[in-house]
Amino acid sequence: MLDASFPLDLERLQLSPHDIERRKAFVGLQPEDVARIRSIQDIFLPNADRYVAAFFDHLAGIAETAKLSGSHSVLEEAKCLEHEHLVAMMQGDYGKDYMEQRVRLGMLYSRAGLDVSVLLGGFHVLMRVLGMEVMKHFAEDPTKGFDVFMSLKKIGFLDIGLIVDVLIAERERVISVQQEAIRELSTPVLQVRDRLLVLPIIGVIDSMRAKQLTDDLLLAIRTNRARIVVMDVTGVAAVDSKVANHLIQTVAAARLMGATVIVTGLSAEVAQALVGLGVDLSSIRTLNDLQGGLEEAERQLGYKIVPIDDSTPAIEPA
Amino acid sequence: MPVPILKQGDVLIASIQSGLSDHDLMELRDNIAEKLGSFKSLGVIVDVSMLDVMDSFATRMLCTIAETTRLRGAETVIVGIQPEVAVAMVQLGLTLNGIPTALDLEEGLQFLKASIRGRG
Repeated sequence: MLDASFPLDLERLQLSPHDIERRKAFVGLQPEDVARIRSIQDIFLPNADRYVAAFFDHLAGIAETAKLSGSHSVLEEAKCLEHEHLVAMMQGDYGKDYMEQRVRLGMLYSRAGLDVSVLLGGFHVLMRVLGMEVMKHFAEDPTKGFDVFMSLKKIGFLDIGLIVDVLIAERERVISVQQEAIRELSTPVLQVRDRLLVLPIIGVIDSMRAKQLTDDLLLAIRTNRARIVVMDVTGVAAVDSKVANHLIQTVAAARLMGATVIVTGLSAEVAQALVGLGVDLSSIRTLNDLQGGLEEAERQLGYKIVPIDDSTPAIEPA
Repeated sequence: MPVPILKQGDVLIASIQSGLSDHDLMELRDNIAEKLGSFKSLGVIVDVSMLDVMDSFATRMLCTIAETTRLRGAETVIVGIQPEVAVAMVQLGLTLNGIPTALDLEEGLQFLKASIRGRG
């Protein structure tokens, strides 16, 4: 399965000092913002636990976060990291360490299966709680309070941007791992008789798989000295003109190596689709099903299947 | 370097050893046509198993050889096209339509033997 503990891929997430500066520029973070945030840290730090609790209380009320709330250890780790987050946020040092903390948090959320929309909702609750605290503190000077809040918000958006990037990067990694797994389920080329190969194709054929399939088949023709190949496409649900072209090319290449290809198992839909597309398959020998294909291949190779003797029926009556 | 043409019973065997110049290929074509007459051969095998590339000119020459041979009453088989070469040829649209192919020399000989026997 997926390796959850792979090393943080900071290269891919672009956390070089330059990129960090760019990210700060994206949200318009200025030195005076940092100064404003530092000015209120003494008021906020003692209450950090309360803010974190508000964030997780909100998440707990949402069904989509069951995986996060369900696992005690994950939840504790998340609370711990989120607390660390708030503390670091107030201290106003937004360098590489800060970014890596966010990445760790993002990885945790990704592992817990948290959706971006749910996370954004939670983040908004957190920002609202912080905002209310700020306004309470600056009740006599709301303009200043608002400035402080806007500075906090810049950091908030900086964090969100990074965490969402982590979630997306993680999702992309999962997709690429799965693609690799599908590729590894490569199409086997089976020898069923001397000089006779069977190539069952199952699933979707994209150009990458089609190429690998052709290469594998041609190599197998050479190794097994095959004269006939039965290509069974029963398991292929859809064929477009690109895939049909790949099939035609594979058949032509096999012929250049002296092997005949029989295609079997074209379903009614696929056959109709091919005719509708106007793909010319007249150069390819096609038969209804795998059995028919094998029988035809055996005939061409000069085999004949006969019962062992008359008293033994080929198939036991039920 | 000219391609040697060997006589084996009713069959002529031309084994192409390495990348040939266009001139060598044309010479091969002429030599095969000539030997077909002097040996009264019934089949020609062109073995290309040593080739790792096959361009359009070579393919055209093979087609010419096959057609010339047919006109002189014999049959041509191309043998030993390698997997990578086959893929490249197909992608270039060079499918040697109508010319028999076989896996290797042995298969080619077997094919011609059956074909010649069929003619009686």
